[in-house]
Amino acid sequence: MLLRDCPVISKRKPESMALFAVFQTTFLLTLLSLRTHQSEVLAEHLPLTPEALKVSVNSAQQCLHLQWTVHNLPYNQEFKMIFQIQISRTETSNVIWMGNYSTTMKRNETVHWSWESELPLECAAHFVRIRSVVDDARFPEWNFWSSWSSWQEVNVQDSTGQDTLFVFPKDKLVEEGSNITICYISGNIQNDISCYLEGEQIHGEQLDPHVSTFKLENVPFIRKGGTNIYCEEKQRKAISNGTVLFVSKVLEEPKDFSCETRDFKTLICTWDPGANTALDWSKQPSQSYTLFESYSGKKKHCEEKNRCNWQITQDSQEIYNFTLITENYLRKRSVNLLFNLTHRVHPMSPFSVQFENISATSAVMTWKVHSLGDYFTLLCQVELHGEGKMIQHNVSVKANGKYLLNELEPNTEYVAQVHCADDNHFWKWSEWSGRDFTTPEAAPSEAPDVWRTMKSGSHNVTLFWKPLSKFHANGKILFYNVAVENLDKPSRLEHRSIPAPANSTELTLDGCSYQIRVTASNSAGASPAAVIVVSAAPGNKEIEEEIIEGTEDGFSMSWKPQSGDVMGYVVEWCDRPQDPLCDFQWKKLGPNTTSTVISSDAFRPGVQYNFRIYELSTKRIAHLLERKTGYTRELAPSDNPHVVTNNLTSHSFTLSWKNYSTKSQPAFIRGYHVYLKSKEEQCQPGAEKAVLPDDTVCCQYKIDNPEQKTFTVENLKPESFYEFLVTPHTSFSEGPSGTFTKVRTPDEYPYMLVHVIVPVVICVVLLVCGCLLKSQWMKDKCYPDIPDPYKSSVLSLIKSKENPHRTIMSISDCIPDAIEVVNKQEGSKIQSLGTRKSLTEPELTKLSYLYLLPTEKNYSGPGPCICFENYTYNQAASDCASCGHAPVSPEAPPSQWGLLTSSENLLKALEKNYMNSLGEIPAGETTLNYVSQLASPMSGDKDSLSTNALVPPPCSEYKMQMAVPLCLASPPPTENSDLSSITLLGPSEHYR
Amino acid sequence: MDLRAGDSWGMLACLCTVLWHLPAVPALNRTGDPGPGPSIQKTYDLTRYLEHQLRSLAGTYLNYLGPPFNEPDFNPPRLGADTLPRATVNLEVWRSLNDKLRLTQNYEAYSHLLCYLRGLNRQAATAELRHSLAHFCTSLQGLLGSIAGVMATLGYPLPQPLPGTEPTWTPGPAHSDFLQKMDDFWLLKELQTWLWRSAKDFNRLKKKMQPPAAAVTLHLEAHGF
Repeated sequence: MLLRDCPVISKRKPESMALFAVFQTTFLLTLLSLRTHQSEVLAEHLPLTPEALKVSVNSAQQCLHLQWTVHNLPYNQEFKMIFQIQISRTETSNVIWMGNYSTTMKRNETVHWSWESELPLECAAHFVRIRSVVDDARFPEWNFWSSWSSWQEVNVQDSTGQDTLFVFPKDKLVEEGSNITICYISGNIQNDISCYLEGEQIHGEQLDPHVSTFKLENVPFIRKGGTNIYCEEKQRKAISNGTVLFVSKVLEEPKDFSCETRDFKTLICTWDPGANTALDWSKQPSQSYTLFESYSGKKKHCEEKNRCNWQITQDSQEIYNFTLITENYLRKRSVNLLFNLTHRVHPMSPFSVQFENISATSAVMTWKVHSLGDYFTLLCQVELHGEGKMIQHNVSVKANGKYLLNELEPNTEYVAQVHCADDNHFWKWSEWSGRDFTTPEAAPSEAPDVWRTMKSGSHNVTLFWKPLSKFHANGKILFYNVAVENLDKPSRLEHRSIPAPANSTELTLDGCSYQIRVTASNSAGASPAAVIVVSAAPGNKEIEEEIIEGTEDGFSMSWKPQSGDVMGYVVEWCDRPQDPLCDFQWKKLGPNTTSTVISSDAFRPGVQYNFRIYELSTKRIAHLLERKTGYTRELAPSDNPHVVTNNLTSHSFTLSWKNYSTKSQPAFIRGYHVYLKSKEEQCQPGAEKAVLPDDTVCCQYKIDNPEQKTFTVENLKPESFYEFLVTPHTSFSEGPSGTFTKVRTPDEYPYMLVHVIVPVVICVVLLVCGCLLKSQWMKDKCYPDIPDPYKSSVLSLIKSKENPHRTIMSISDCIPDAIEVVNKQEGSKIQSLGTRKSLTEPELTKLSYLYLLPTEKNYSGPGPCICFENYTYNQAASDCASCGHAPVSPEAPPSQWGLLTSSENLLKALEKNYMNSLGEIPAGETTLNYVSQLASPMSGDKDSLSTNALVPPPCSEYKMQMAVPLCLASPPPTENSDLSSITLLGPSEHYR
Repeated sequence: MDLRAGDSWGMLACLCTVLWHLPAVPALNRTGDPGPGPSIQKTYDLTRYLEHQLRSLAGTYLNYLGPPFNEPDFNPPRLGADTLPRATVNLEVWRSLNDKLRLTQNYEAYSHLLCYLRGLNRQAATAELRHSLAHFCTSLQGLLGSIAGVMATLGYPLPQPLPGTEPTWTPGPAHSDFLQKMDDFWLLKELQTWLWRSAKDFNRLKKKMQPPAAAVTLHLEAHGF
């Protein structure tokens, strides 16, 4: 039960205490005598039960205010009493709270007491009753409990409709983190009801069939607009009612509360207010702040949330005791501050900051301060910022400040600023006030650092100088002056002016010694001169290069001085040796230095840097002392050499990689490894077995001289495959594991054998294969079959049209002049020779016939004869031209050729064939070859007609026609060709 | 294209019709009043703009109220919002409204809604929300003026508020903040419905007030031009 927030009131009616005091003693004496008797009477007859109990309700505060009195108290004096209060909920028997309340009271005096309910009072009826006891040592006999008053019912019925759901408390304001109980009254609603807090269902307990309560603990702040709690009937899925719980943030105590003055007129108090506890819907405004000063008793409401101005009066109050009070509807907090005003002076920032008499190295700074009175002295702090440095000075100031800034750098921009504080009681610095200024230029204070390079074999000198540092330049360098003086013969000084920012120049000198002076100039003057002497005879002897080991920090090197009298040493190198410009660098060292570390941000691993160390004589002449070379870090070679194989024999070959440059590698090449793979298990002498990264085993030859770029692998086997790889190696690694190159050693026999015989054999084989594949084509081309003239249809044509009167001689009527039968395996060739006179030309022009005539001397005209139409030759030739049709006679058995050996049989055969030819000549019945004696031997017949051809008899006057492939002798005939056109010989040649 | 005698007569008839109607075409009648068309169009455009503006404002405000008011399916009982002018009306009734009544209802509704809307501004503590609400109130005031302009153009008198019927936003002592939030929800919802209905109203009026030039055009098209 909460009692703290409800105003607990216990009051008695005021009475005249003075009157009571006067008569108290008299009455006491009287009363004492009667005490015993009266006590017995009270105990028996005067019940001290509280009466006139009234209960009022504060719904918003959830408080019950009780008031009662005790009528039966004897005498009109104060009694110390204890009241026991019982509070029941829902019904009298359900006592939810019981407690005692002690007070002193008189008869008929009304006692007030309040009780705060955690449950909204609208949620349930409450009942209250009280009993009392006199707890007074004077009246021990009355020390017994009275009987209970009657139950007083408290019923806050806010629910106006029985069919409406109500949620309590309504719009309650609570602090974040507090616990709160809510309830709903469902009235006559029979449906199940669910309640939600910001969408999340909450679960409670049922107080009675229509009332359920929900305890919310540690409620959070969600929004200024309040946290929504609502209930809905499950079946209707409609929101019935709800309430908004306004959760305020906890009011925080103001932090960093502080007050100060800047002008002794106003005190400015500031603090950190913390979180704003304002809520919307007019539930709670932002917390208020009030400033209270206890000595003056003044109070001021602060308009702002984090600061308040307090006017200082002229009553010379020095000590202030401030209380800052902040409050909202739920809480009140305060913080206290006690201080002396003079200890809280925060001066205003200085003004009118000026600079006077600004020179290259000094300036006077002046400023003014706001006066705080004659008794106040300010401590001012001057800060000078320039060139990345800061210098501070303290100055004590009354009204006007002044300070000399010296040791300044020429041509430098400075920022000077000043702030002040109370010198007697330091509280706070004022804000800074400042300005910037720039010192004028001065002549450069140091000679430029000059060095030179000389091309060997010429008199060209390139002069380099480093730009002066800002510290030494004392301004913007405008140009560099170069003065060249001949030391060997008196001559005029040569001057040259090079505009900045050039850092080199090239001079062409003759063979004399020259002194070169270089100065840098700005607007204020020239620097001291840098002097360098170029000797006529540089005397750069051959000096061996020494390998040095570099690190990431640079190259550490040392040298041996040659002569005792030196001005110093110079180390020169190129930052980018691969570049044509090379970024030339040098470092000058004192005469007592014989070692140094050369470092540069430009140094990269895997790049070879070359250093030259010069000794500067007292005459400023440089002599090359030593040469060094090295890498900051050697890297593994990235490429293997390109290897060429030479002198390949059956037992050896030579590897050559002469194009491989050892200088341009990312490390010093110490030699090479030659790896050789072969089927042989044993390595040759001079090689050793090595296991490659891919676990293959091979033989390794080591070459330790990086300049040896050939290697001969010997003792190899003929006709064997070998694989080799050449890789460079450095002191710590070797080149990449590249691909092996294959080599096959040749045979021991002269390879001419292979080079000549093999192609010949291949050609012959190809030729034979070609012939076999194209045998038929060859045959058709070179010795086609001669068709059977008897089978020609021309005969019948002649008989019917051309010469109807011509009688064809019967074969039996013909007396052969000469018949030769050639009997060969493939067939026979019959050559008919005759020496008859020719036919008349007109007849021959139309048709060319081969006549086989008897050799009778008196023959003078046409007579019966055998006539062969040469058309058939043409047909055969045509077949040849078609290159595919072979005129063979399948029906002629080979035995038939044997019958033709006798003339009789021949005649019969001819007769038979002729008769056949008069009728239908079956195609393909050619069984004889008629070959002219003049047949050309170039026909290519494999039967070698030329060799078998018979010599024509001298009596013969006719040239016999022969079958010659058209493809060899004449253009192919056309379909419309005249028959004569296919005669091989001209008409004039037919008959001589 | 060859024209026959019948076509020529038809064209002549059309030409005569067009010439007959020319004085009635507002675009050609330079000396005449443009009529209520443009002001109705402006009112319609303003309504659509306010619809868009309210969509953003309602989202912000309902999020400010918190759940369940910003939940999409939230549909609370219309407890305290009975005094709000209802936009929903039977379709037949809506169709049967004459122009004067239609405009009068719109004017009255927005007069009431504007007053209620100003009440919202009192509760919202967020400066940004207050600014949005003030901006919307100004726009709504503009719409009210625009409707009044249309009514004046058409010669309708503005409705005079009856004494004692001024809308108030002073809930009784039993009116909890939760119910107040519900009323706010209903105010925004009713406003949205009214803007939607007004768009329909003004669209209908716009079509109704269109000049008879369209009829001439239709007549010409009917003759195959």
